[in-house]
Amino acid sequence: MCSIATDLRRPEFRSFFAAAVFCQFAAVGRSWRFVPLLVMLIGFTPGMASADTASLPEADLQFYQSQVAPLLEVHCNKCHGADSKFRGGLDLSSRQGLMTGGDSGPAIDADAPESSLLLDAINYRGLEMPPAGKLPAAEIAVLTEWVRRGAPLPVQTTSRTKHEEGPPKAADHRGHWAFRPVVSGPVPEGSPADWGNSPIDAFVWQQLTAAGLEPTKQADRRALIRRAYFDLTGLPPTLAQVDAFVRSPDPRAYEHVLDELLASPQYGEKWGRFWLDLVRYAETNSFERDGAKPEAWKYRDYVIASFNSDKGYDRFLMEQLAGDELPDASKETRIATGYYRLGTWDDEPSDRTQALYDELDEIVATTSQVLLGLTVNCARCHDHKIDPISQRDYYQTLALFQDVAPDGHRTSPYELVDLSDSPVVAAYRERDAELGRIRHRLHELEQAAIARMPGVDQRRTETDQRLQVLNEKLAQFQSAEEGAEYRRLRDELVAWEQKQLPPRELAMGVATASANPRPTHVLIRGNPHAPGAEVEPGFLEVLSGVPSAGSITPAATSSGRRLHFARWVTQPDHPLTYRVYVNRIWQQHFGRGLVRSASNFGLKGDQPTHPELLDWLTAQFIRGGFQTKPLHKLIMLSKTYQLSSEPTEDQLRVDPANDLLGRFDLRRLSAEELRDTMLLVSGQLNLKLGGPSVYPAMPAEVLAGQSQPGQGWQTSPEAAKAANRRSVYVHVKRSLLLPLLSSFDFPDPDGSCAVRFATTQPTQALSMLNGRFANEAADEFAKFAAREGGHDQPSVVRRALETAFSRPATQAEVIRGLKLVNELITEEGLTAEAALSRFCLMVLNLNEFVFVD
Amino acid sequence: MTESGAAFCGRTRREMLWETGAGFTGLGLTGLLSADGFFGKAAAASEEQPFVNPLAPRPGHFAGKAKSVIFLFMYGGPSQVDTFDYKPKLYELDGKTIAVKTKGRGGSKNEGRVVGPKWNFKQYGQSGQWISDLFPNLATCADDLAFIKSMTADSPIHGSAMLQMNSGKIQSGSPCLGSWINYGLGTENENLPGFVVMLDPTGGPISGAKNWSSGYMPASYQATVMRSGGTPILDLARPEDLTESAQRRLLDSLQSYNREHEATRNHNSNLAARIASYELAFKMQRYAPEATDFSQETAETLGLYGVDKPQTESFGRQCLLARRLVERGVRFIQIYSGGSHNDDNWDAHGDLVKNHTYHAGRTDLPIAGLIKDLKQRGLLDETLIVWGGEFGRQPTAEYAEGTGRDHNAYGFTMWCAGGGIKGGSSVGETDELGSAAVQDRFHVKQLHATILHQLGIDPNRLSYFYGGLDQKLVGVEEVEPIRQIIG
Repeated sequence: MCSIATDLRRPEFRSFFAAAVFCQFAAVGRSWRFVPLLVMLIGFTPGMASADTASLPEADLQFYQSQVAPLLEVHCNKCHGADSKFRGGLDLSSRQGLMTGGDSGPAIDADAPESSLLLDAINYRGLEMPPAGKLPAAEIAVLTEWVRRGAPLPVQTTSRTKHEEGPPKAADHRGHWAFRPVVSGPVPEGSPADWGNSPIDAFVWQQLTAAGLEPTKQADRRALIRRAYFDLTGLPPTLAQVDAFVRSPDPRAYEHVLDELLASPQYGEKWGRFWLDLVRYAETNSFERDGAKPEAWKYRDYVIASFNSDKGYDRFLMEQLAGDELPDASKETRIATGYYRLGTWDDEPSDRTQALYDELDEIVATTSQVLLGLTVNCARCHDHKIDPISQRDYYQTLALFQDVAPDGHRTSPYELVDLSDSPVVAAYRERDAELGRIRHRLHELEQAAIARMPGVDQRRTETDQRLQVLNEKLAQFQSAEEGAEYRRLRDELVAWEQKQLPPRELAMGVATASANPRPTHVLIRGNPHAPGAEVEPGFLEVLSGVPSAGSITPAATSSGRRLHFARWVTQPDHPLTYRVYVNRIWQQHFGRGLVRSASNFGLKGDQPTHPELLDWLTAQFIRGGFQTKPLHKLIMLSKTYQLSSEPTEDQLRVDPANDLLGRFDLRRLSAEELRDTMLLVSGQLNLKLGGPSVYPAMPAEVLAGQSQPGQGWQTSPEAAKAANRRSVYVHVKRSLLLPLLSSFDFPDPDGSCAVRFATTQPTQALSMLNGRFANEAADEFAKFAAREGGHDQPSVVRRALETAFSRPATQAEVIRGLKLVNELITEEGLTAEAALSRFCLMVLNLNEFVFVD
Repeated sequence: MTESGAAFCGRTRREMLWETGAGFTGLGLTGLLSADGFFGKAAAASEEQPFVNPLAPRPGHFAGKAKSVIFLFMYGGPSQVDTFDYKPKLYELDGKTIAVKTKGRGGSKNEGRVVGPKWNFKQYGQSGQWISDLFPNLATCADDLAFIKSMTADSPIHGSAMLQMNSGKIQSGSPCLGSWINYGLGTENENLPGFVVMLDPTGGPISGAKNWSSGYMPASYQATVMRSGGTPILDLARPEDLTESAQRRLLDSLQSYNREHEATRNHNSNLAARIASYELAFKMQRYAPEATDFSQETAETLGLYGVDKPQTESFGRQCLLARRLVERGVRFIQIYSGGSHNDDNWDAHGDLVKNHTYHAGRTDLPIAGLIKDLKQRGLLDETLIVWGGEFGRQPTAEYAEGTGRDHNAYGFTMWCAGGGIKGGSSVGETDELGSAAVQDRFHVKQLHATILHQLGIDPNRLSYFYGGLDQKLVGVEEVEPIRQIIG
C-alpha cells in the first residue's frame, strides 16, 4: 500500500502529480497489448476467489475476517484489492503482495512490524492513506494489531499477475526502421525523360505510378516564384522580381533565384523561426510574474545567424548543447547555450526539488523530441508504455544535463554569461560581490527592524510601499548602533552603484555548470522525494548500437556530460538525428514531413510515406557536411516541388490526402508571414536585422487581462512604430502573445511545437476586418500604392491588387475593385481616400493574398 | 485491433490530422472525424456551409445533466472559516497561539496565533447549511448549494494554484477547463464564443491570459474575454466610419474575388472554409452585441442581480450576462471576482474584515440573483454553477498583529449548484480549526472530474494527444467525480 501513486494528498506528491507530464497509455481497448489483461479481468470476479484457511491459526483467521477484512474492504480494496488496478503497484489481497509491496517498497516489515510502511501510511507519517482522510483511531489500532501479528491473511487460491505484459524492451525493437542505420539505396529507374531527373522525382514517380497515378502539371512560373519566395524568406516577391523571372531566357533562372534567396538575410529570419518553434523559444519565464529573461534575444539572433551562415547542423547542435564546453568555445557558442534557458521556470516554487526536476524534464522532453524524435519524457514516472525506453533511460538522459545550474529565484532570477574581456569580468565580479554583501546586510538590518513594527506596517513592507515605510519608520525601530551601521552601508552602496565600470557583454546561457553534479537517481513514480537507484549519465539502451565518441571528461567548470552527449548525438552514423532533421526541412517545404509525426519516430509514430527517399536525402545531407542550404536546393530543384497545386481527377479519387506527392499542397501563410507581408505591401516593413525584441501595439482589451495592465510590454507610440519589423523580432511574452499572431496559430511557447495548426476561424476574420493593425496597414497600403503606381483610382486599385498577388491584375479585377470604391463613395458616403483605404483592407483579406499556390 | 488500427494508437484521429498540416477543414477529413464520433452531422461539410467549425456541437460520452457551466472564480482565495466552514471552537481560540501546521506564501510554520472567525454563522434552509453573515442573500439559496468543505490543491502560491484550478496543472502550457469542455462538446451557438471569461474591473488575475489559454490545443479553444458593456469582444466592432452596409459591400466584393480564385481550386476546402468564416464573423458582429444588450431586461430582473446598486452593479452585470450567454448556448463562462494584486482580490493578508466585507458585498447579491433567476427560468437544472478560489486561507494570523490570513491549500471550501448537483448537501470536513481537510478529502482534479461528468463527459476518457501522450485534464490516474454531491 502506501503507494505514492494513489497518495495524491501528500502535498509534495500532489504537486508532483500536477507537475508531471500526465502519462497515459493509449486508452484501454485501443491497444491490442491490453487485450489479454481485459480478458482476464472480465473472467475474474470476487466470487471466484476462495480462501485456503487451513494454514492460518483460528484466532488470526477470525481476527482478520471479523475486523481487518471489512476495514480493508471499505477503505483500501478499491485501489489495492483483488479486483483493483493495484494502484501504485500494491496488492493488498495476498501475502506476497504485502511483502513485495508497491512502488514505495514492502508494505510490511517482517522483522520490525512496527516500522512497516503500511503503518506509516495510515498514521499519515510521510505517506497518507487512505487519501480521503485519516482513519479513526480505533481502526488504526485494528490494523496496527494486524501488522503486529505479522499481517496474517488467508491464501487466495485465485491470483492474477500484478502487471500486464511489460513495456517494450530495447532488445526486441532495435530493428525498428528509425533505429536502423541510414541506408542510401539505389535510385529507382524508369521515370520518363520529361519528368524530373532529380532522384527525389524518381522516388516519387515510382510510388505514384505504382498507385496508377501521374503527377499533375508543373506550376506556372509566377506561382513557382511566389512559392519559392515565401518558402525561403517568408515574404512575397515584388511584381518586378516576378516579371524579371518570368521573362528571363536563362534556363537556370530559377536556380539563380534560389541562390539569391538563400543568400538573403531574410532566409535566416524565416528558417530560424522554425527552430525557435521547436525549442519553445520565449523571452519570459511564465508562472506568476512571467518576467523578462534578459538577453534572450541574443539566442534568437544566434539561431538566425546560424541559418544564414549555413552552419552545419552537427555544429549547430554541438554549440547549443555544449557551447561552454567546446575546445573552441567562443562568444557565439556560449550564447548558443541559451538553449538550456528557454523553458518556463518557477521563480517561487512551492517545492524547490520538484521545480528543479520539472525544469530538467522540460530539457529532456525538448531535447529528445526535437533532436531524436523520441518522447523520452514519457518514461519519467514509469517505463515508456509504447517505445522501448525505460525509466532508467530517462534518468540516465536527465543526468546528462544535471551539471547546468538551475535558474535562481524570485529576487535573483538570472545568472548571465559574461562574454566580456577578463579585466572587465573581474571588475564586475568585485563590484557584484561587494554589492551582494552590502545588500544582504542591509536587508538583515531592515528585517530586524520590520519585525518590531506593527503588523500593518509589516504588511506594507511586502508591497510597493516598502520604501516609503522604510523611509518613514525604519529609524524609530533601530538601535543607535544599527542605525549607524545602516547609514554607513547605504553610503557604501551608493558609492559602489555609482562606480563607473566599462560596459560589458552579457548573454543568457549556461553561466555556471558543475564539474561534479549532484547524483541522479531513478525517481520512483517520478517523485523527486522518493529517490530509487542511482544512475550514471548514459544514452538510451535501444540506441546502444550507436557508439559513443570517447568518454565523459569533467572539466574545471563543467561535468563534460553535455559535450559527451553532443558528440554522440551528432555522430554521422546516428540513425535518428539527421533523419529527424531532414524530415523537418521537408516538412517546412511541403507542409508535412515524409514522417508526419515529425517529433515522434518511435514505434507508434507514423511510418515514412517514402522511406527510401528519406534515407537517400539523409545520406546526401550527411555526405554534404550537414549543410541545410544545399538541402533546400536539392528539394526545390526537383520537379516534385515545382508541381502545380491543382490536382488531377485521378489524384483526388485515389490519393485525396496527397500522400504520394502528386501535386503541391496549397497552404495558408503562417502568422508571421501574414503580418510581415501586410507590413511589406503597405510600405511599412523595416527590414532591420537582429537586436532586442520589439513591442507592437497591443490592444488595450488584451492588456486589461493582465494583473498589472501593460506590465512587461512597451506601450508607447514610439515603441509601436519601431515594431514594424519582421515578426520573428516581436517580444515573446508567454502570458501576452500578440493576438494577431496567436489567432493565426503562432504556437503556445510553453512546449515544443513540431507542426503548427492551420485553423480557420471567424475571429481571424474579425481581426483582419476590424482590428487596428489591419486597418492601419490598409491606410498605408492605399497611400503606398498611390505613391508607387499613380494617384488616380484605377492606378491605386491596380497597383494594390498586383502588389498583393505578385501578378498583373486582369481588367475585370480592376473594374470590380473600382466598383467597390465607387459604391463606398456614392452609396456609403465615404471620402475617396477612405474608400480606397477600405478597398485595400479588402485586398488584405483576399484568399489569394493569404494562400500560396 | 488490426495493425492499421494500431497505427492510430496513442493519438486521436484529430491529432493525426493536425500533423498532416491540413487542419480541421482539409479535404476529406470530415468523414474521418465523423466516424471518430467527434463531429456530429451538424459539423459535416454541406454544400451551402462548407465551414467546419471546430466548435461545432458534438455529443458527449453520455447524456449529461448540465449543458453549461458558470464558474465564479473568487480570485485570491476566500477564507473558508469566515464563509461556509463553520468552526465554533475557533472563536474561543481567538488570539491564542496554538500548534498548527500551515504552509502559505510566508512558508511553512508549526504554530500560529488564531484569528477567530470574524463573522457569525447561522443555519439556513431546510437543509440547515451553515453560512456566515457575509452572504445574507446567498443564504436564502442554501438548499440549492452543495458544499465541498474538504478541497485541497497542490500549491499555496497564487500563480501555480490558479493554473491548477483552471487547467489541472501547476505549470502553464495546458488547456484550461473551458477549452477541454469546448473540445469535448463544442458550442451550441456559433455566433458566440464557446468559452467566455469576464474580468474584474481592477484587472486580470496573476498570470493573465494563461488562465484562459488553450495551451497545446488550437487557439479555437481558448477563451474570449467578454465585457458586459461597450464592445463585448476584441475586434468585434467595425471601425467607427464603416457602417454595416458599407462593410457588407466590402464583403460582397471580397467574396466575389474569392469565388473566382476558388473556381480553379475547388478541390481545396480550406478556401471555402475561409470564405464561410467571413460570413460567420459578419453574423457575430450582429448577434454577439445583442447578448450584452440588457434593454429588454425588466427592472425586477436588474434588481435581482443588483445592477441597480453601485456596490453590486459590476458583478451583477456580469452575472446577468452569464445568464444571457447560457440562454444562448455558451458552454463555459468564468467570472472573476477580484483582479490585480493585494486587496483588489480576496487575498486578505492584511485586514481580513475589510477585504472580505468588500468582496462578499460586491458578489453576494448578484450570485443569489443568478441562482434565483436561472431557477425561475428553468435553467438551473442544466446550468452548473461553481464557486471558489484557487485555495483557502489559514485559521491563524500571518503577522504578529492584525487579522490577515495567509494562503492555505491543505483545506478549503467550494460550492456547486444546479446542473444536476444535489442542493442542500455538504461533503467533507476540515479539522476543528479548519486548517486542513481530514474527512473525504478532495483534490482539484476531482472537482474537474465532477464538472466534466455533469456535462456528460467521462473525465477519464476525454484525452488529447500531445508530446507523445494522451493528455487529460484530470491526469494519468483515474479520477472519480464527487458522487456525494451529485443528485
